[in-house]
Amino acid sequence: MSSLNIGGSQLDASWFLLLSAVLFVLGAVGVLVRRNPLVILISIELMLNAANLALVAFSRQLVNIEGQLFALMSMTVAAAEAVVGLAILVDIFRVRDVEDIDDLSELRG
Amino acid sequence: MSNQTLALLILVFPAAGAMLLAGRGWRLPRIFTVIVGPGVVWASFVVTLALLFAKASGDFTYWTWIKSGTFEVPFNLLIDNLSIFMCLVITGVGGLIVTYSVGYMEHEDDPSYARFFCYMDVFILSMLLLVLAGNFVFLIVGWAMVGLSSYLLIGFWYQRHSAVVAARKAFVMNVIGDVGMILGTFVLFTQFQQVTYAGVFQRVSGCPPPGIFVGCFPSVHTGPDSFAIELAAFLLLVGAVAKSAQLPLHTWLPDAMEGPTPVSALIHAATMVTAGVYLVGRMHPIYDVATYAHSAVAIVGAVTALFAATIAIVQVDIKRVLAYSTMSQIGYMFLAVGIGAYSAGLFHLLSHAFFKALLFLAAGNVIHAMNDEQDMRRYGGLWRQMRPTSITFLVGSLSLVGVIPFVGFFSKEQILGLAFSKPGDDMVHVLWAVGFATALITGFYTGRMWWLSFWGKPSPQRPVEHPHAPRLVMMVPVAILAVLATVGGFLETRAIGVGPATVTDFLASAVGPQRWEGGGAEIAVTFLTMFLAAALFVWALYSRPWSAYAPWAQRLLERKYYFDEIYDRAFVRPTDWIADFALRDIERPVIDATVIDTGLIARAGASSLSLTQSGYFRNYVLVFVGGAVVGAVILIVRANS
Repeated sequence: MSSLNIGGSQLDASWFLLLSAVLFVLGAVGVLVRRNPLVILISIELMLNAANLALVAFSRQLVNIEGQLFALMSMTVAAAEAVVGLAILVDIFRVRDVEDIDDLSELRG
Repeated sequence: MSNQTLALLILVFPAAGAMLLAGRGWRLPRIFTVIVGPGVVWASFVVTLALLFAKASGDFTYWTWIKSGTFEVPFNLLIDNLSIFMCLVITGVGGLIVTYSVGYMEHEDDPSYARFFCYMDVFILSMLLLVLAGNFVFLIVGWAMVGLSSYLLIGFWYQRHSAVVAARKAFVMNVIGDVGMILGTFVLFTQFQQVTYAGVFQRVSGCPPPGIFVGCFPSVHTGPDSFAIELAAFLLLVGAVAKSAQLPLHTWLPDAMEGPTPVSALIHAATMVTAGVYLVGRMHPIYDVATYAHSAVAIVGAVTALFAATIAIVQVDIKRVLAYSTMSQIGYMFLAVGIGAYSAGLFHLLSHAFFKALLFLAAGNVIHAMNDEQDMRRYGGLWRQMRPTSITFLVGSLSLVGVIPFVGFFSKEQILGLAFSKPGDDMVHVLWAVGFATALITGFYTGRMWWLSFWGKPSPQRPVEHPHAPRLVMMVPVAILAVLATVGGFLETRAIGVGPATVTDFLASAVGPQRWEGGGAEIAVTFLTMFLAAALFVWALYSRPWSAYAPWAQRLLERKYYFDEIYDRAFVRPTDWIADFALRDIERPVIDATVIDTGLIARAGASSLSLTQSGYFRNYVLVFVGGAVVGAVILIVRANS
């Protein structure tokens, strides 16, 4: 098990991964259980950032820059996604006030 | 112009007339139809006369229609004395009848008027193609086209249910004949690999190969007499029997009288129904070899002659009497060509075209004056009011009975005489006896028809008190035909010992010279027949009603020997039953059910699958996350194992 040198102190990489996993699960559960569309969007961002953290951690551990590059890329995508998601939400809010995402079920089969 | 061009012109005129009338006729003034309709027929008549005087003959090939390997169908027209003879009958008598229609159909509105003449020209074209064709394929084309135009004209008044049913019946019966013709041609083709007359007949009769069979009549046939040729001859006979309304395919002809009277005159008396006689004459090299089929022709003819004559005794519809007498007279022609007296049969064809067209047209005058009433019991006493029509009808009737000097005497008695005196054949005397009996019955029913319609007092049920005189355009063709029926017989008087035999000599180059001469006894028999028939004609006026003698026989005859009922039971009902069965037990439970069930299954599947689309965001995410978890677990497990 290798370790990372951060701020002069050694820290095991698994801690970062553990944090990443916790954040991801928090995000996923948030998406699943929350009903407010805005909170769901925030939870999605949380999951993306958890993934970014894992990428950066691996990048440092493996001494490979690609992971960090990919994290940058992922942030860009996240920004774009947030824009699109928020735009959709704004458009829906113009028509009616949505507090519960379950209200948006017109496409039920 | 060369003979080749002239021969094609015969067909071009009616074709052009039919196309003009079909395309423009109903929009143009009526005078246009009046000129074009009969005009093109007369034009063909003139061209035929030109060919006659040029003594044209030959087998003219215009182009190759189909060529595939050794199979080759040319479009060729055969001009010989037989086809010119037939063309003269078709365009001459046809021209008179089409001209007569100008008056008879005057009550139709303009589109129907043009339609009528268009169909008539199509018929003339088809019939000319039939007789001019130089190979079996175009013979069949013409053969089927006359069936079609007959169908169109019987059903001309398509608003009438009975006319449509009659047209359909005629068409179905004719198609049975067409199938026979086609199968016969197949048999000949498999034997000889030829479809042209010249090719087939040369091989059948074993003539030396000058190419054209015209003029080749070996006294001893060296060609093959095989099962295949007999079969082909029988199949061609099926075609001839259906077209000529002989037993057992005759039931359509009486019903065909639903058509306008000029149609009955032209198609169902003078020309189309005699196509079977032409066919046997044209195919004589085959029938000369196929002796069984040849005898069958004669037997069918004799039986039909007697059979139809007996039915004619009890009919009350004037056109139906004429229809049965047509069947009967065509039976005579079949009898003649069946015993080998081809030119006698064809001469009777000519004379029958004269007097039967005359009878139909004169009857048409009566029907026209009686507001379309056709029941003879409701006429009576027309002698005083429609003198010219009565006289011409009498001329036709006496010709039909066979009274000297009318044309029917010479032609019918020639047939009977030749049947009486044919050497080396015992069966032929039976046929003669049948023909003799038929001649007597003909005298009776013709007399009954004439006395009933024209003599006595006017029937109280007569629809018109003072019938109007027919228009000139209707009377002139009738008068011309009456003259022809009176003097036409003198073309051919050698059968009674003196005078010329124009028709026989003319046709000798196409169907062979007369093969035997009648003896002295025959002439005595001929005159005996005539006197007895004429006596019966007169006796018909004084005889008590037929039903007084034998009511059961009357019923049998009125039901036409139950042929329609038998066919209904034997063919129509089983077909209906099979159709019902197919609908009830195959169409609905199997085919429909398969289609409908396929749709139902698809719909049920779709509605059950659509339940997965709950519309709730959570469900989709849950499935997504669950899928991701499962995927991850699988990857981890596999990586660790």
